[in-house]
Amino acid sequence: MTKRIFSSFLIVVLTVLLASFTIILGVLYNHSASLQRSQLLIELDLAASGVTAGGEHYLSTLSPDGYRLTWIAADGTVQFDSSQDADDMENHAEREEIQEAFATGYGESARFSSTLTEQTLYFARKLTDGTVLRISVDRDTALTLLLEMVPSLIVILLGALLLSGMLSYLVSRKIVAPLNAIDLDKPLEGDAYDELAPLLNHIAKQQRKILSQRQELDRQKDEFFTVIANMNEGLVLLSAQMKILSINPAAGTFFSTDPECVGRDFYTIERSRDMDRALQATIDTGSHELHMNRNGREYQLNISRIHADAESGGFVILIFDISDKYYAEQSRREFTANVSHELKTPLQSIMGSAELLENGLVKGEDVPQFVRRIRTEAARLLSLIEDTIHLSQLDEQSELTLEPIELYALVCKETELLASAAQTRNVTLTTSGKPVTITAAEPLLHEIVYNLCDNAIKYNHSDGTVTVTVSETDTHAILTVADTGIGIPQAHQPRVFERFYRVDRSRSKETGGTGLGLSIVKHAVQYLGGTITLESKPDQGTVVTVLLPKQH
Amino acid sequence: MRSRFDEQLTLLQRELTQMGSMCEEVIALAAKALLQRDNHLLDKIDALEQEIDRMERTIETLCLKLILQQQPVASDLRKISAAHKMITDMERIGDQASDIADIVRFTGPLQEDGIRADIRDIAAAAIHIVTESIDAYAHGDIALAEAAIAHDDAVDACFAKIRNTLAELIAAHPETASDALDWLMVAKYFERIGDHAVNIAEWVVFSVTGKHKGIAYGGVTG
Repeated sequence: MTKRIFSSFLIVVLTVLLASFTIILGVLYNHSASLQRSQLLIELDLAASGVTAGGEHYLSTLSPDGYRLTWIAADGTVQFDSSQDADDMENHAEREEIQEAFATGYGESARFSSTLTEQTLYFARKLTDGTVLRISVDRDTALTLLLEMVPSLIVILLGALLLSGMLSYLVSRKIVAPLNAIDLDKPLEGDAYDELAPLLNHIAKQQRKILSQRQELDRQKDEFFTVIANMNEGLVLLSAQMKILSINPAAGTFFSTDPECVGRDFYTIERSRDMDRALQATIDTGSHELHMNRNGREYQLNISRIHADAESGGFVILIFDISDKYYAEQSRREFTANVSHELKTPLQSIMGSAELLENGLVKGEDVPQFVRRIRTEAARLLSLIEDTIHLSQLDEQSELTLEPIELYALVCKETELLASAAQTRNVTLTTSGKPVTITAAEPLLHEIVYNLCDNAIKYNHSDGTVTVTVSETDTHAILTVADTGIGIPQAHQPRVFERFYRVDRSRSKETGGTGLGLSIVKHAVQYLGGTITLESKPDQGTVVTVLLPKQH
Repeated sequence: MRSRFDEQLTLLQRELTQMGSMCEEVIALAAKALLQRDNHLLDKIDALEQEIDRMERTIETLCLKLILQQQPVASDLRKISAAHKMITDMERIGDQASDIADIVRFTGPLQEDGIRADIRDIAAAAIHIVTESIDAYAHGDIALAEAAIAHDDAVDACFAKIRNTLAELIAAHPETASDALDWLMVAKYFERIGDHAVNIAEWVVFSVTGKHKGIAYGGVTG
């Protein structure tokens, strides 16, 4: 821009300079020419009156300076010339100015020399005697004048060029300076030209818009990454070439890698064949689900292909920890298998006995024994089904009415029910403690106390004791059932609350247990918001402590 | 052109890692078939062994193509030539696993449970080295490669123990000699698998540092 302004200025200056030069030259030339002409005419008039008075004598005394006088007779012959011998000169009758003078009394003409550098002006006047006096002067033409002025002209031009160049430079700099001074990041600060204001305003507006949009984008991005980083599910984004684009901490833990793996090939962090197959399947079908066991937990991986266009696209891997669900599912499956097995055993026994009776294969004296077996097995089946129903009720968490119940009285009632069973096994059942009222559901408390005492009696030594104690803290009631029984080996202790879990399967027939008792107790305690702990040493006995909140 | 080269190099590494994973799987299957007498696994082992062979040819072709068409230099060339050497060892691991499967297939249940625990140990140790050396390759982890090389001693120790036990066994019960020899073969195969895994680990070290234990001329660096 500076360059453009500079050159424009220079051209303008030079054009003006040249034009004014030419005009001045022309005007001056014309002026001096007319001045000279009037002087010559005065000179001619003087000479004419002189010649009229003094004739040739006057002319010869005259010593003309700068001009030339010629006296021409009426026939055209030159009678006198101030610079040449008149006899040598030709007849002038044909000359333009002479002819004019003969005709009108006055004539003038101008003739150029052969080189054009000089011009000769002629003025002629007819005297009273019919002769003609002519005055002539040589004068430089405008061209000569110009040529003479060339050196000085060049100097002037150069000077003008220099000066105008310098000025143009300074001026153009000055014009452009405010433009250069505009800070495009802050277009409205500083004083630029008013003409630029609309443009700068527009820029400022756009900048504000861009800034706010960028802040919004940053905010969204931060939000997104915070969510991704803190979510429990693992998330991995892969490019179409299986390069890792993003991996969150949960996924990093799953693949035992760190965030530095971003940009590397996915196969460097996960090379299992299952994953390869899953990825191939994803490429073919668009999505795939995969289960993996890592660090003792079960994970579900959902892999999806992202379709953007042919070039981009990639894969998303979402990793869920499904251990809880998985193990719950597993125990449910086990339960179903167990319950059908447990139900089948007594039924088969009943069927067998009944078939024998039906076919008359039982001797008369054995009949009662078979009938008894059918009855006990049916009772066992019944208790199993009852227990299962209880458990499923607890599982369903159906609403039970909670009411204030005096725990100690309930314990005494339950122990009375079990007294005969205890007696049969030669076990002493004692209760101790004081009345504690808690808010609970009676059926659940019954299940807890009955099952715990029942177990304590069943798995006891002969002459053993079972002690049920009721005590309290500020917030909880404490129920302790201690026995001197066979105890539970350490290895089995964590599992005794599982459904159908039995320490010694071979004893189930003997004791008539269903394997569901402790499971029911645990569920009931949990339903009432309490906790249950178990301490046991083989052959020394077991102490089960149940903490139940007084209020809900 | 270069980016295509990089892509092919990534593909090579990916395929090689996958071949390594196949080796891990095939040994694990062989050990399982052996220790649990599970003959259903034998067909799986054979199929996997053939897949490993195919993979070897694929990777070999890829290596040669890369060398001929791209004329790699320095570390790229090292990576490719190391890969070219590694697949041989991996293929051998597949063969050994297949040999173990053959023993399971063509002999009856192997007697003498006293040796089972030792066999389980040597199998676990061999699998461990293979896993370590493949992981070392996948991550370019020299420390892990060195660890894999060091762990070969454990496999050798296991083998020596098994050999002594079997020698005593044969002396005491000459009638079990045939089974004992089969056990010895199995142990030897696992020991060889360990050696191949060590070779792989050494090539991993070479591909990263340019130094290889077996190269006398002091290594190729660059």
